[in-house]
Amino acid sequence: MKNVEVAIEQGGAAAAETFQPRIVGFLCTWCSYAGADQAGSCQLEYPANVSIVRVMCTGRIDPEFVLKAFRAGADGVLVLACHPGDCHYKEGNLRAAQRHAVLVRLLEQMGIERERCRFDYVSAGEGEKYAQVISEVVSSVAALGPLSINS
Amino acid sequence: MKTGVYFCNCGSNIAEKVDPERLREALERSGAEMAWFRTHPFLCSEEGKQFLEQELREEMPDRVVLAACSPREHEGTFRRVLAEAGMNPYLMQMVNLREQIAWVTADPEQAVAKAAAAVNGALRRVALHEPLEKSELEAAPEVLVVGAGPAGLKAALTLADAGRRVTLVEKSPVIGGLPVRYEELFPNLECGPCLLEPVMGELLHGDKAELVEILTLSEVSEVAGSFGNFLVKIRRRPRYVDPVQCIGCGECAAACPATLPNPYNGGMDERNAIDFAFTGGLPSVPYLDPSACTRFTAGSDCEACRAACPMGPELVVFEEQEEIVERRVGAVVLATGATLYDCSGFPNLGYGSCPDVKDALEFERLIASTGPTGGEVLTSAGKAPASVAIVHCVGSLDDAHRPYCSGICCSYAFKFNKILQERLPEAKIHHLYRQLVAPGKEEFRLQNSAREYAGAQFHRYDRLAELEVVVDGGQKLRLAGGELVDAELVVLCPALVPNPDAEKLAALLDLPLDGFGFFEELNGRIDATRSKLRGVYLAGTCQGPTDIRGAATQGAGACGALLSELVEGRTIELDPCIASVDAERCAGCRVCARVCPFRAIGFDAEQGTSEVNPVLCRGCGTCVAACPMKAIRGNHFTDAMIEAELEGVLA
Repeated sequence: MKNVEVAIEQGGAAAAETFQPRIVGFLCTWCSYAGADQAGSCQLEYPANVSIVRVMCTGRIDPEFVLKAFRAGADGVLVLACHPGDCHYKEGNLRAAQRHAVLVRLLEQMGIERERCRFDYVSAGEGEKYAQVISEVVSSVAALGPLSINS
Repeated sequence: MKTGVYFCNCGSNIAEKVDPERLREALERSGAEMAWFRTHPFLCSEEGKQFLEQELREEMPDRVVLAACSPREHEGTFRRVLAEAGMNPYLMQMVNLREQIAWVTADPEQAVAKAAAAVNGALRRVALHEPLEKSELEAAPEVLVVGAGPAGLKAALTLADAGRRVTLVEKSPVIGGLPVRYEELFPNLECGPCLLEPVMGELLHGDKAELVEILTLSEVSEVAGSFGNFLVKIRRRPRYVDPVQCIGCGECAAACPATLPNPYNGGMDERNAIDFAFTGGLPSVPYLDPSACTRFTAGSDCEACRAACPMGPELVVFEEQEEIVERRVGAVVLATGATLYDCSGFPNLGYGSCPDVKDALEFERLIASTGPTGGEVLTSAGKAPASVAIVHCVGSLDDAHRPYCSGICCSYAFKFNKILQERLPEAKIHHLYRQLVAPGKEEFRLQNSAREYAGAQFHRYDRLAELEVVVDGGQKLRLAGGELVDAELVVLCPALVPNPDAEKLAALLDLPLDGFGFFEELNGRIDATRSKLRGVYLAGTCQGPTDIRGAATQGAGACGALLSELVEGRTIELDPCIASVDAERCAGCRVCARVCPFRAIGFDAEQGTSEVNPVLCRGCGTCVAACPMKAIRGNHFTDAMIEAELEGVLA
């Protein structure tokens, strides 16, 4: 995270102005998608770079989807789940967290920075956190620049 | 394929930020495969729904994309419109323009670009949608209730009142659970049996009694099937007495020469081999304990009970055998109750070694008029104690034992105080507690009464290990500070723990238990009467510590959930958006079964493949993502659909 902040401060910001990253956000229906809707109801503005793909549960997210997203041109991927203990399906979010932990190591071996694939928890009541996570992920991916495997 | 896109302006909510005309142009420019793009000011209005229905009837698209609000708001609404128009409701995909684009994007140009990406994803996804049908399942309306304490009784009665046939299984020879053994209940010192007897009487002899089959001395031994169709086997131990003809006179017990310590009085007195559990226990039919009857233990030919029976010797049936009773039920209510934490794990408190250290259940019998002393509070030496120590929080609020507060112990400890106050006005009472907790709108009265009683002293302790029962010329208790106080009788108030049967039942039903062994509820706050297994409901202390009111309320509450889900004469509707296994591809590794949170995946041993139970599957898709062979398909969320959407939004 430190490096990202430094990158943003040192001219990364200038690059971010011109470079608009494309990011895919996988959201579970019950918590994080509802959190995104709440951000909307509160009319919280955030960057438009993240396209949402809704799934019933983050447990549904096959790591291959993430790889396919990068292959299809995404500069970053975001996976948002229910907080531990809140999962509508009991523990799908924990499976997603486990898979993410393994996946980012694989991504790093492939030369894809771990900051390009963020996992976080957003509840149905956390519209503000949702907007904040979107802003953070957009600026951190922007600072990294376009994904080289795509260029 | 003909896909129609409908754009809802939502008044100005969407159209103000996402200009429909510019969106249409952007989609057309990108070569999106849509047959038409039409707008409406308010698609969810009555007029809007009529417009859409008419459009679908006339234009007959193959697929529909609705660029409108959140599917969480109106997916159901528009699916119904599709169905009304004669289209399969699953051939539609919503795009959330309002909450996730129009309301959150400052720049209209970016909003249009983001909207175009989203609609493009939806177009590619919806092309792969399949018509899905809800399937239906015949369900048995009968219900099994396990446990005949306050929760189970209330559940059985509520169900019978609704006209349901109920099989009520109780492992002991009597119904009523623990409270029928208490004479007076907190918070108002009502009589326990009097409170429960009307409920029990109603079940045994009331208008609806014929709907309720009560199986005492019985335990569930096998469960197969799932919600709507459970096949249950119940092992019924012999009572050796004909319950139909018996009039409950007790002549057999009076004549019986064999005795054993009475488990219902904590072994503080004896019962005959054939006897009632305790006076007033229902059903009012004695039972024969073969562990004490000499016919069973020594092969004698004693027939004293038979000879004494005024209704005829055939009422005592020595030949009765254990039997397996089979019942088909649609749902199960678990009300197996709780018990007290075993106090023998605290050697410093002398439980089990000092006869005048009792746990709360034993003390309840000691103060009951039907108990071993006829309600006189006496020590083991038969003397009225001049001092009584009541130890709260035994094994509770203690990480080494049970970290939780059971919430009822202080209230009954204050009740003990009140009863001792009346029966032994000279006795000194010591309360030892870690914390005093008496929640509820009435419970404070007993607490105040105990706190104000001049004969009672309160001593706080930090750790139970600081206390010690000392027997040295009269029983004493060492307090946390080292001081010794007389405590001729010590009453321990232990944590409430699940009945050990819960574990057996959990294994039979494949039902999860929480960290303390209570049945895990679907949701601890909003859905505490439903278990994590569909069709299995929870009531009373098998779900967590509670008082009689809580247990009875939960018993009735569980029936509310049950009756709304298992409606007589109606089939169970199964959601089509669930997982299914392609047996051809399945390698039988069973990773799917291990990750399934709902135990919905079984195994066909003959075929060597996994199979999804459509009744239990909730469609989360965890197994779909986990399958290394890609042999599981998540209906409506297939890999192909998700990937098409993914590629669409990035195109």
